Amino acid sequence: MELAKILYVEDDPDIQTVARMALEMVGGYTLEVCSSGDEAIAKGPDFNPDLILLDVMMPGMDGPTTLASLREIPQLEKTTAIFMTAKVMPSDLQRYKELGAADVIPKPFDPMTLAQQVREIWSADNGQ
Amino acid sequence: MANNNLTVEEKMAALRSAYAQQLEGKIAEISDHVAAMLGASDEKAIAETVLAVRALIHKLAGSGATFGFKDVSMVAREMEDACNKSIEENKYNSEIGVYLNSRLDDLRKSSVHPDIRMEKPRSHENGDIEQGSIEDRTIRKVIVLEGDKKIQSQIVNELEHFGFLAVGVSHPNDLAEAINKSKPFALISDIVFDGDSESALKLISDMHGAGNLDCPIIIHSEIDDMHHRLGAVRAGAKNYLIKPVDMADMVNVLDLVTSDGDSDPFRVLVIDDDESLSHHTELVLQGAGMTTRALNDPMEVIDALNDFAPELILLDLYMPDCEGHEVAAIIRQQEAFDAIPIVFLSGELDVEKQLSAMELGGDDFLTKPIKPKHLITAVRIRASRFRELRSLMVKDSMTGLYNHTTTKQMIENEIERAKRLNHSIAMAALDIDHFKNVNDTYGHAVGDKVIKSLARLMRQRLRGADIIGRMGGEEFAAILSGATIEEAENVFNQIRQAFSEIVFHTDTKDFSVTLSCGIAEFPAFDSISSLSDAADKALYEAKHGGRNRVILAR
Repeated sequence: MELAKILYVEDDPDIQTVARMALEMVGGYTLEVCSSGDEAIAKGPDFNPDLILLDVMMPGMDGPTTLASLREIPQLEKTTAIFMTAKVMPSDLQRYKELGAADVIPKPFDPMTLAQQVREIWSADNGQ
Repeated sequence: MANNNLTVEEKMAALRSAYAQQLEGKIAEISDHVAAMLGASDEKAIAETVLAVRALIHKLAGSGATFGFKDVSMVAREMEDACNKSIEENKYNSEIGVYLNSRLDDLRKSSVHPDIRMEKPRSHENGDIEQGSIEDRTIRKVIVLEGDKKIQSQIVNELEHFGFLAVGVSHPNDLAEAINKSKPFALISDIVFDGDSESALKLISDMHGAGNLDCPIIIHSEIDDMHHRLGAVRAGAKNYLIKPVDMADMVNVLDLVTSDGDSDPFRVLVIDDDESLSHHTELVLQGAGMTTRALNDPMEVIDALNDFAPELILLDLYMPDCEGHEVAAIIRQQEAFDAIPIVFLSGELDVEKQLSAMELGGDDFLTKPIKPKHLITAVRIRASRFRELRSLMVKDSMTGLYNHTTTKQMIENEIERAKRLNHSIAMAALDIDHFKNVNDTYGHAVGDKVIKSLARLMRQRLRGADIIGRMGGEEFAAILSGATIEEAENVFNQIRQAFSEIVFHTDTKDFSVTLSCGIAEFPAFDSISSLSDAADKALYEAKHGGRNRVILAR
């Protein structure tokens, strides 16, 4: 299996732009960018991503709630998920893992190495 | 979009600079909330502002370093921690506001990233200076579809003198391949191939219809009849030129059909003592594509006028040190700005007071709060009228270059600025060799064409921010800010070479002309008179040394 399609959920347009560049141009992945949890839930099934990348703190539905809802979609039940967040407390990390997140990428991230980070987490999670 | 061709580094640099430009606004927004926090009277009001600040500062903490602003992330993180502590402990007193306020300056300082600051284009009378090397212009590829090899190579050569990258194609069958290699900027095409005057037009029409030929098309043919002209229009051609075509005309047509209607953004100076209000006005206007500058201290207005060269001024009526109508009167006393539109923006509702403000030099009165759409329209209409008017006043009607008076004025401004910023200026004086012979032999119409060609060539080869003036007759001047004399020598030698290779066609004879050029450098010559005299003297030497050469003043 190859990592090709990433469902990316982030409300901040600046971060969206730079992450899109990092993942599309540097990483060569196909992205579906969603600005809210609702949008991700609407687009998730059709896009059928190999990886879900979510911001934690978003207005409205936050990252963890979004992931919990995405997990109810049958084909996304086991899809590798990664949170991105500016603050990681050990207790939070535990909670994210329980929700089925493979790992957390801290913000701010380095746009030149984001794709590589994502790939490494995905490979580890998919036993590659 | 052109962006697709950018490398990751270039795109990252662009994103970084866009982010940098927004940072100030984001920090101002946080600062507004902190101010509200300090002014809040009860715990509930403080709690609301703390939450608002936390939401904004959280974003900064999470994004700053991604865009190269490590310190922004660091300071924002500390401010976020303080907000979180306050929220967790449910403690909303003046302490949090005082702390956040004390960190705002750190935040502002951390947002001024030295690398980014250098990347920001500096402001200029003509709009922003173009980045890149002095001879760097966007390469524009023009495909020349022409069966006659001799004509083809002639067009290709001459287009290259005008700065286009011309590619010759000899048969319509090869057109698709040439287009696939890289998207052309324009297509110039004959219509008769292998004795057939229909197939080429049909092919072009099909390609154009299918979206495979998405650029202006110019037909260039010996046939001049309604049938073929109609065919050309139906094939999507923007112009139909009859052979033989003078290259200067061809280039004019190319310029016309490829101009996308984009013009420089309007430049608006916003004068308001309230930083957050001026900032808001700026954001609205920037959102409409305008370039703005805010001035919060009206006492600095004269510097701002000279430095920013606005096309419209939005002025607050009531300010602490100096009232709006007084500022308007001062602006009107500056000769260069006595016609600039001044629009008052104020909460004043009393019509009498509005009128008296306008008597002192204002052109219009807008009442705050104003809807963004209304503000944008009011500003755009006035600025655009001013620009048209000024263009009549400052430009030479034949060439579109600056006229003598304006050029002199601009040289002076450039020298002043170069002194302040401590950079060099190269000034060139140019003159077409034996121009009187051209006029006498071929007539004034041809002479005008020669002058226009040189004007066109200079505009093509110099940077957008360089100042090019027609000083009279066949004399020109150019000011290259930030350029050394050696860089200028290089560019003007290219212009000289290219100009000498342009062939002008007349009924009787084809001919070419040359030019001579003298260049002097600031600060070696450090006043307007010594600089222009030195350039003129070098030009004189070039003339006497045999013409068709560039001489440097030492």
